[in-house]
Parts: sequence; C-alpha cells; structure tokens
Amino acid sequence: MGEERIERVFKFKFPTCTTGQDYELEIPLKIPHDGCIKELTHRLISAFKLPCYVEDDLQKALEIAVKRWTLEFHDDRSERLIKAAQSGDLDVDEVIKNWEKLYKEKTTAYAEPIGTTDEELFAAAYHRLVHSPSLETILQAEHEFGRAVTEVVRMRDTEFEKLTQKQTDEVKVAVETLEAGSTERSINEMLGRHFEEQSLLQGHWGSRVDALKLEQRRQYRNWIMRLLEEQQTSMLPTPVNSPIVQMPPLRATLGDFGDRNDKGAADFPQLEESFTIHLGSQMKQMHNIRIMTGDVFDFCKTKHGDSGMDPTPQRLQTALGLYSNDLCGLVLLTDNHVASYSGITKELCSICQMTTEFHFPSFDEQLEKLRDDVKDVVTWRQAHQREGSDPQAKKSTGSKSLQIGDVFITRHSNLAQVHVIFHMVVQDSLRSGEINSRHPAILGLRNILKTACSNDVTTLTIPVLLVHEMSGDMTVAWCTKRAELVFKCVKGFMIEMASWGGAELKNLQFLVPKGMSEEVFGTLATMLPSIFRVSNPLVFKATDTLQTPKK
Amino acid sequence: MCPALLEDDERCLGGTTFFARSHPVELCGSNGLPLTPNSITIYGRSQFLKTIEHSNLSTYLDIIRSKHERIVVVAEYSGEPLSNRNNLSLETVKKILYQCLLGLCHINKLGLVHRHLSPDNILITKDENVKLYNYGLYYMTDSGRNVSFPIGYPKYLAPEVFLGNNPNGVKVDSWSLGMIIAECLLKQNIWSGVKLAQCLRKVLSLINSETTIFERIARENNCLKTYEALPEVVKDFIDSCLQIYPSKRKTPEELLQHTLFEEFLKKDLVSKEQKIYNSVTARKMDELYYLWQLAGGDITMELKKQGLIRSRPPILSVPNLVVLLGQIFGRRDMAGLLDLRVVKVPLDTLRQRLCHIPFTANYPRLMNGTHIQAQDNLTRAASQLPLIIRERDTEYQFYRIVLYERLLQGYPITRDAIIREAHKDIPPLVRGRVWAALLNVSGDIERRYQMIDKETPTHTDRQIEVDIPRCHQYSELLSSGAGHQRLQRLLKAWVRDNPNYVYWQGLDSLTAPFLFLNFDNEARAFACISAFIPKYLHKFFLKDNSAVIQEYLGKFSQTIAFHDPQLANHLKSINFVPELFAIPWFLTMFSHVFPLHKILHLWDKLLLGDSSFPLLVGLAILRQLRDSLLTSGFNECILLFSDLPEIDIELCVKDSMAMYYKTPASITYRSHQLDQSKATNWIDPEPGTEKMPRISIKDFMNLLQNSKQNVIVVDLRNNIQFERGAVLGSINIPFTSVQLSHTDIMSLGPHAEPLANNRDSIVVIIGQHDQNNALFTEFLISCRVLRVCSLEGGIYALRSTAPHILVPPR
Repeated sequence: MGEERIERVFKFKFPTCTTGQDYELEIPLKIPHDGCIKELTHRLISAFKLPCYVEDDLQKALEIAVKRWTLEFHDDRSERLIKAAQSGDLDVDEVIKNWEKLYKEKTTAYAEPIGTTDEELFAAAYHRLVHSPSLETILQAEHEFGRAVTEVVRMRDTEFEKLTQKQTDEVKVAVETLEAGSTERSINEMLGRHFEEQSLLQGHWGSRVDALKLEQRRQYRNWIMRLLEEQQTSMLPTPVNSPIVQMPPLRATLGDFGDRNDKGAADFPQLEESFTIHLGSQMKQMHNIRIMTGDVFDFCKTKHGDSGMDPTPQRLQTALGLYSNDLCGLVLLTDNHVASYSGITKELCSICQMTTEFHFPSFDEQLEKLRDDVKDVVTWRQAHQREGSDPQAKKSTGSKSLQIGDVFITRHSNLAQVHVIFHMVVQDSLRSGEINSRHPAILGLRNILKTACSNDVTTLTIPVLLVHEMSGDMTVAWCTKRAELVFKCVKGFMIEMASWGGAELKNLQFLVPKGMSEEVFGTLATMLPSIFRVSNPLVFKATDTLQTPKK
Repeated sequence: MCPALLEDDERCLGGTTFFARSHPVELCGSNGLPLTPNSITIYGRSQFLKTIEHSNLSTYLDIIRSKHERIVVVAEYSGEPLSNRNNLSLETVKKILYQCLLGLCHINKLGLVHRHLSPDNILITKDENVKLYNYGLYYMTDSGRNVSFPIGYPKYLAPEVFLGNNPNGVKVDSWSLGMIIAECLLKQNIWSGVKLAQCLRKVLSLINSETTIFERIARENNCLKTYEALPEVVKDFIDSCLQIYPSKRKTPEELLQHTLFEEFLKKDLVSKEQKIYNSVTARKMDELYYLWQLAGGDITMELKKQGLIRSRPPILSVPNLVVLLGQIFGRRDMAGLLDLRVVKVPLDTLRQRLCHIPFTANYPRLMNGTHIQAQDNLTRAASQLPLIIRERDTEYQFYRIVLYERLLQGYPITRDAIIREAHKDIPPLVRGRVWAALLNVSGDIERRYQMIDKETPTHTDRQIEVDIPRCHQYSELLSSGAGHQRLQRLLKAWVRDNPNYVYWQGLDSLTAPFLFLNFDNEARAFACISAFIPKYLHKFFLKDNSAVIQEYLGKFSQTIAFHDPQLANHLKSINFVPELFAIPWFLTMFSHVFPLHKILHLWDKLLLGDSSFPLLVGLAILRQLRDSLLTSGFNECILLFSDLPEIDIELCVKDSMAMYYKTPASITYRSHQLDQSKATNWIDPEPGTEKMPRISIKDFMNLLQNSKQNVIVVDLRNNIQFERGAVLGSINIPFTSVQLSHTDIMSLGPHAEPLANNRDSIVVIIGQHDQNNALFTEFLISCRVLRVCSLEGGIYALRSTAPHILVPPR
C-alpha cells in the first residue's frame, strides 16, 4: 500500500567491555514501524555482531524510540490537517459534505430508511406459498391463466391467417381481372384497404391480449397476497379457490387449435449424456455436467400437453426455484439489436408472450429498459476507451450499439425451465470462423459465468458450439475443435469461480444443436470426461484381508 | 442451570455483520494474479483478534466469511451498553473510565486503535465492570480501507479524523473517550436531535474553540451549572482528553497515570497479588462458542432472525447488462449498508444440552503424575462411533476438551498421557497444541523463533514467492494476505535455521497444515515444522536428495510387494514406478495431494507413528485405487495420478494403521532415517538384492516368540543342511529344486501349500545367500504370496545370535 512513511535514524550507544570506549550504532527506521521490535533487535545483534548483553537495553531503547516517533508521526500529521482547516486551506464545508454523503450512503443509521419494496413483499409471499400446500393451486391457476392467453393469441393468429388468405385471394382475383374490370388504381386502393384492415385487426387483438394480461396480472397478484393472508390467519390446510372462475369463458373455442408447435420435435433423436465431475487440485468441488442435443427454445416453451389440463413438472421446479438461491440460466446467442422485431429475440418474444408474466416487467418492457442502459454503455465505453489508447478498440467506439461479447440479461417467470436469460451478442462470423480463447465471445462467456456466480444462478445451459443451428459448413473437425475450446475455457472459468466468493455452479449443461449426427455427438460426449476429469467412484470390496468391512 | 459450565449467565454471544468492499472489476495485483477479495483479507487479519485476552475487552470468537463478501463477526457480549445507563454517579463513571483506559492501553500495546468508541461499544456487566466491544473493526478492515462505509460515530470522533484519510493514531480514542465521559458527567446527550451535517460541523468547529472544549460543550448544551459543579480533577482529566492539538492530548496510557485513578491503581496492585493463586478452571469463552456451535447454534441464523441479514431473492438483483470489459449496468442492488446492530445470543441451547453433566466433570483427576483417571465410562458409548460423528457430538467433545485442557496444562510432564489420548482422537479445538505436544515441542519457542532473521532477502525468496500463492488457496486463511505473509516468514525462517538444507518445492505444502492450525502462533507452527521434518523427512531437503529419495521409493516398492504382491506385479509389468507419482506424496507427507481437512485427520495418526508410517499411507491410497490400477495401462495410470480422485481418508487412515501394525519395523528400515536406535546390527544387503524386503533377526525372534502362528519359515538350504538343524516348523524348499521361470506356487510341491493359502502370516525366507533369497522372494511375489521377506544375514546370522532355535526337524 502506498502508505505514508517517514524515516528516522535510531542511535544506540553502549560501552564495550575491553576498551571502555562507547560503541555507536545508527539505524534508519521507517515510521510507523510494522514489524516486531524483538525480531528487529535480534536482527541488529546478528547483523552488527553485537555482544549479547546489549540485547535488553537495545530492545528497550528501540521500543521507546519507535513508540515516541509513532506518536509524533500521527500528531504531526493531524496537526498539519488541523492547521490547514483553521487557516482555511482545507475547505471544511467540502469535508463535511463528503462525510455526510458517505454516512448517508453507506450506513443504515443515517441512510434513508428503506422499507421492503412491493417487489420483495410479493416475492416473499410467492416463495412462501409455493413452498406450502398451495403450490398446486397456484400452478394450476398460472396454467389456466396461461392457457387463456395462449388461446387468445392463437385466435389472433388464426384471424390473421384468415384475413391474409382472404386478401391474397382478393389480390389474385384482382390481378387476374386486371384488364376486365379492375384498374391499377383500384388495386392500389384495395391494397391500401388491406393494410388498414391488417392494422385494425392487429390493434384490436393487441389491445385485447394486453388487456387480458393486465387484468390477469392484477387478479393474480391480488389473489396471491390474499392467499397468503388467509393461510396465515386460518392455517387452512387447503388453499382458497383460485380466481379462475371469474375468467371470461374462452375455453369453448379451444378445440379448433391443434398444437402446432409440437410438430418437428420428434424429427431428431434426443441425445444426452451426464457426468459428475470434481474440479480443483486438493479441495475438490463437485459439479454435474450434461451434454445434450436440443433446441434452445425447448428450455423456454411451456408445453401444454395433450390434455392441456395440468401444468408440466418443469413448471413446478421453476416456480419453486424462482425466488430461491438456485436459479436456472440460459445463454442465448443474439445479434446486437436489443429489440423484438427480428432474429432470435423475436422468436423468444413470441414465446414469452404466449402467457402472462406475473412477476417481472414484460419482455418488451425489459428490452425497453435495456435500450436505455445501452445508451449508458455507449457513453461509458467512449469515456473508458479514451484512456486506453488501443487503436482497435477506438475503431469500434463509434458504434452506438452493443458489441460482440456484451451480454444483456432478462428475467422470466413464465418460461419452462429458465429464470434468467443471458443474451450474448455475437456475429455471423462465429458460425464458421475459427476462434481462440481470447475471442470476445469466450470472454463474454466468462462474464456470464461470473454474473451467474454472483447472482446465485447455479444451473446454466450453454450452446457448446456457440451457434444454435447446424449448417452445412460445420464439419466434424470444426465441431470438435469448437467444442474443445469451449469445454476447456469453461473449465478454466469454473476453477477460477471458486475464488469469486459467490454461488458455485451446480449443474452445467452443454447444448448441442439439433440435427447433429450421433457420431459427432459421441465424439463431443467422450471429450467431456477427458477434459473435465470425471470422478472415479469409490468401490469398496470385502475380498481383501486388510480392508475393513463394507459400510 | 448447568453445573458443568461454571459460568455466569451473563455471558452471551454478540453477532454483527458487514460487507467488505468489492474490488472494481478485473483488477490484478502486482504479481499478475487476481486480487484477493477484501473479505478474505479481512478474514485473515482478524484472526489475530481472537488471541486478545483481557478482562476489559470482549473476546473475539469467530469471523465468518459468507457468500458475496459478507463478514459475520462473533464476539463475547456481556452486560449492557453504556448508552442504556443513565444518571451514573461520579464514582461509577470513574470506575468505568478507568477500566476503559485499561482496555484501551492493552489494545494500544498490541498496535490496535479502537477508533469506534461510543456508548454502544462500552458494555457494563452486572457487577459494574467494563468490557469494550467492537474494538477490532478498525483493525480488521485495515484502518477502514477494506470496507466502503465510514467507521466511527460522528459525534465522538476527533476532528482530525474527518480532515484526512490516513490511519489514525492512539490519541483519537482519548478524544472519543473524553466525549463519552463528558456526556456521562453532563448527564445528557450532547447535541441531541442535531442532524448529521450539523453534528459534523459542530465537531469541526471545535478546532476554532477559544475556551476549553469541555466548557464549550457544556455551554452549547445549556448545562454549564452541571459542568461547574464537577470537581476540578475531573475537569482537568476531560480537558486532557479533549485537546484539539494531538500533541497536547494524552494517550490512554498517559491518562491512566492521572491523579484521578491513584486509588484504583493501588487497589489493583494489591488484588493482583492476591489473585495470583486462585486461578479457576472455568471454561473459556472460545470453548463455549465451539460447543455451542456443535449443539446446533448458528450465528448466521440468529442474524437472519433479527433481520440483520436480509435475504433478498437473488433474482431481484440480477443486473441488466454486462459489457465485455466486465462493467455491469442496471444492477438492482442495495445491499452493502453498514448496520451496526448487535444480535445478542444467549447460550441457552448449549446449557440445555449439557445440563445433566455434573460439576465435577470439569476436573478430571490426574493420577500418578501422568496417568489420568479416564472418563471412559462417560464417553465409552460415543467412542465407538466414526470420527466424523464424534467430532460433532457436543457432549463427547466437552469431555475430550476438558480432558485435553487439563493434560495440556501439565505438558510436558503429561506427554505420555497425551499420546495415549491422541490414539483415540484429537478434538479440533485443541489440535494445534496437541500436535505440538506429540512432536515434543517445548521450551521457549517464542524466543527461538524471534531470533531467526526472516526479513533479509535470500536467493530462495523468488521461489517462495511463486509457490505461496499456489499453496492450498481454497482455504480462506491461507489465501489471505496475512496467510501469505506468515507462510513466507515461516519458510524463510526454516531455510535460515537449517543452513545445511535448501528450499525444495513442497516445503510450502508441508508447512501449510501447521500454519493453518497455529495461525496466530507462528512460533509454535515453526517449532512443529522444525520437529516434523527431521522425524519424517530427514535429509529430504538436502541440496542433493536423490539418494534419500531413491532409498525411500525403493522401500515403498518393497512395502507394496510385501503387502500386495499382485498390485506390485502389475505396476512392475507396466513399468509404473513410484518415481512417477509418489515423490510429491512423501516429500509433502501427502499435504500436496489432499485438502487440509483430510490432512488433519491423516496427520493425527501420522504423528503417532514413526517415519515408516507414511509408506503405509501411500500403500493405503494405492489400495483404494487398486481396481482401476489393476485394469489400467501405463498411460491411464499417469492420467489417474495427475489428478488424484477422491480418497476416503478415514478408510485410508484405518488401512494404514492396520498395515502398520502388521509390518515388522525392519522391513521399512531406511539407512537415511533419523532414528537409528535399532540399526546397530544392520548389515547392508548384497549388491543387486536391494529390492527384496528384509527382516532383522531381532524382529524375527520377536515374531517367533509372540505370534508363532503368524510366521511361515521357508528354509532354502539343501536337505542335508536342513536335517542338521532348522527353525522348528519351517518348510524346506531347497533352492536348487525351484524352477524360477515357472511362476506357479504348486510347482513347489504339496508342502508349499501354506504359502499359497497365506492370509495373515509373514513368510520369512532363510537361506545362505542374499542372492538366492532375492531370486526366490521375487519368485514368491510373482506367485502372489503375501508378506514375503528374507531373513537378514541368513542362516549364519541366525546361528551366531540364536543357535538354540535351530533344532533337528525330526
């Protein structure tokens, strides 16, 4: 530490036995001295070959001198400050302001009292209820609410389809009869009308969905609080009825809609392998590692089974964990647009909108807030990179958006198996190019692990190839190389994680795109235990003479 | 009531908590490694506080580091704070003042400044004694550098504290004490109801005061009358505290000499002489805390109950954005505020748990000087349980601790009894001291350690500096700054103290367990390591240690062959020699391979054995991996050992103990070991036969006498010689009749059957030449015969030392 020190010269005189002359020592000492005086004494005695009889005297003299000098040191420094304050060299008002700020920001005694926020209250209530017999009722209610929204959304989609179909037909007819009857103008008019119809329909359904969600959210939250209250007062073993009964009856129209999302799910076999590993050289930490094929959205989509009457078991797990210290996270690779109109974010958005978000702001709202934060990022980046004059960094400074390796995070309560989604910004070049461990995407992965660690995300799913879909130019060699890099880097980060002082990652899932051949998957799966050392099970046998009996 | 605890029920635990300052993202230290988290730095520094013992200071008991940089401090909390007391008489105030000064003087002497004095941190017990509280906060946070909140109460802080950011000297406490006592004397809160900014302004405006500070304060608070009524001597005292210029302000030590305290000082001198003889064996607070935890006490839970640890669901604090450089945006977080509340926890759980233990349990009787009247009848039931469970049994630990305390008080006279008890188990709380006793550490170790120069740079410094940040860094203690510093001092001291040896990598791991156990007693750690190395690793740290290590590993191979021929054969066939994996095992006595908590249990037993014990530990480890080893080739074995799998340490200890008792000492005898007491008759083996386990005549005779049924003697001489005279019951297999290439035990004929069926016996081969013995031993080992060894010196030696046991077989 760059602590202020002063140097003093310690003088010590002692008579020698033989000549009667005084022997004098001069030792420079740093004040404040932070070693042990006794050790110093011995060091001096051996360094200057002093006779042992001076030991006590020398030590005492040293102790007294060091003590006096230390006091003087502190006194001098304080008095200089006091004089500066008296003379006005030191701005006392400024000092007071700073200290006031410090006390107000950092101590509860002077800070503005912060009560429990609504968010926290609701969180506590919900967490308590899902860990009580009410769990089933709540899940059921959520499920019903969700289905209601899904129905409306599907009705909307069908209406849109119908309309689009009708309009296409109309246009077709009009174009065919261009000579006979219809003119270009009339077609243009028709197109204009079609557009209006579309927007009208969109507006209509949009407001209907929003209104429904708003109403659901209000009802739901009130109901949860009421439920808690009743449970606390009456200790009822069974919870009060869910508010579902008051819902507008939409169920009748349900039958028309098949589960369109389910098709294609069975096209590829589900491949999966799990390992238990121990990391660390002496102190070993246990982790579960899984590698599996699948679509990244499988973790998000709430499957409404055939009957559709019961919530899936995954939902139960997710609900129990929502406000716990074991969160589930998912890494999603995205482009640098923080918006829901395109790309993978759009797809995610439509999944999120299938049901009501009861706990956090809706996905769109979260993105909007994020866009504000991006502005902060841009200013921060500009300010920050001016200091470090890295030319390459400077080049990218102009960008007004996020860059590769940046991560934005959204929170969800209505997805199947995840609470937190880490959206990592990547480029298309990642699909084919070669990368090394210094690539921004890998560093972004490290930041994700670090954030996960400090926010108690203990289950994390990572797309192991850093792409979501297989494509033609992904050769076997490329796949193995990429997977090896990601495995090794993640292993390194996990070892590093132990010193970050947060939550340990308990479950790590590597996601492989659907459609990977079994052989390649097999290669990756065998690579896993050789990179992460798989723990050998302890086998006890009673066959040997020396071994103790079986446990 | 709980008779066993011998306590006043006022003793409570006090828990406080705060957050360490988190480092800005992605900073590295000067050595290129990531910065140590501040919570770990605090944890390491604060260990020293636990050693402070003084009647006017609350004892620090524990510092807990929990997730996300939180620190929880547990200290004794007795009585109630001064802020709860009103209208104190002048005499009481004087007494409080006096005892406060005693406490302050003590911490000043140790180099600490309180810097956090306030009426809340001065505790008054029922019998009007003072215990200063929270005096370590400023120290443990490195003068507040490791935390982001300000330390101290604005009202009581000396003005210079606000003017600069530098660490403060002892005189700030004099000022604070002056303010507190002034408040007591004026019988009202100074500047009550004043806002923070105004309060700060008032303190700082005192620097321009014309009159004495005390008078000015009295005037400002409209109690000049009370002020004037005070005796001059008291005013004079307060004035010497409340001096604006530190050079005029007195230190606590000087204040103690004030005329105000003359009578106290005199009284104290008298009582000190009286008290010298009545030391009571009361249980100390750290023992109570330890037992309280075993009884289910959990300070973190208590803090949660009182709302000091608010558990905000983590999902509510997840940030919005993390950019590439690690900067975080949109974090919804509000933790990190300093909450000074103290949670007072009575020891009720412990009291209930121990309520049926009689008063007398506190005084185990020492018999015949060193024999202790065992409390076997009290602990027998528990002593059969596994060690892990025993270590968590409140009652059992209570008895053990009491017993060990008593024994350790009598050390070194009681050393034998300590060893005897250590064979059962060692309670974690006293392990450091017990290990020192087992290693025969005694005398003025403190002074010896002080005399060694640990600061002058040497050429090994560089290597030590590189190794320390890699040594058991998962341990909070050893990864802290204080841990690094102490380990460095210990290593340098050892190198300096052993000029004939050098620093080999591994010495750091070897020292780590001793430092871990004696974190606040470097001298003891040093004495332990200094005794440990000659005992187990004699000559290992020579500049050229190859011969020593060669011999050691050779013995290891022999030991494997002796106890597990099948494994030995396999390792030999794939050419997987101990040189490839076992050097770090033995050079660090396994402390490089296992985490500390396992080392502790392993060394508990290791310290009871002699220098051959580690060989059997090594073998026990191999045997746990036996199945994988037997099915693995060279490459798999290398991989297996490059990252050793989890080892069940209790089983390992058990196995090695069992094998240790079944191994005659001469089998593992090394010419490089320190203890050469039994080596007088040692004859070096003939060249080329070094790989064969050999038993000495003496051990052989012992075996014959004590457990004849467990010895199979094989006589290799020809028939005629055998008929003339042989060991009774020995089997005659003339060497010439053996087909060495045909590795089947049955080829030796029916009389070799006992060899094939050998389970528990030792097979001793007696012949004329080492050469033939070695070949035959090798033959038997490849036939997987257990515990084969050859008699040292053969038949000639036997004939010359013990001719009487050679009798004609018929």
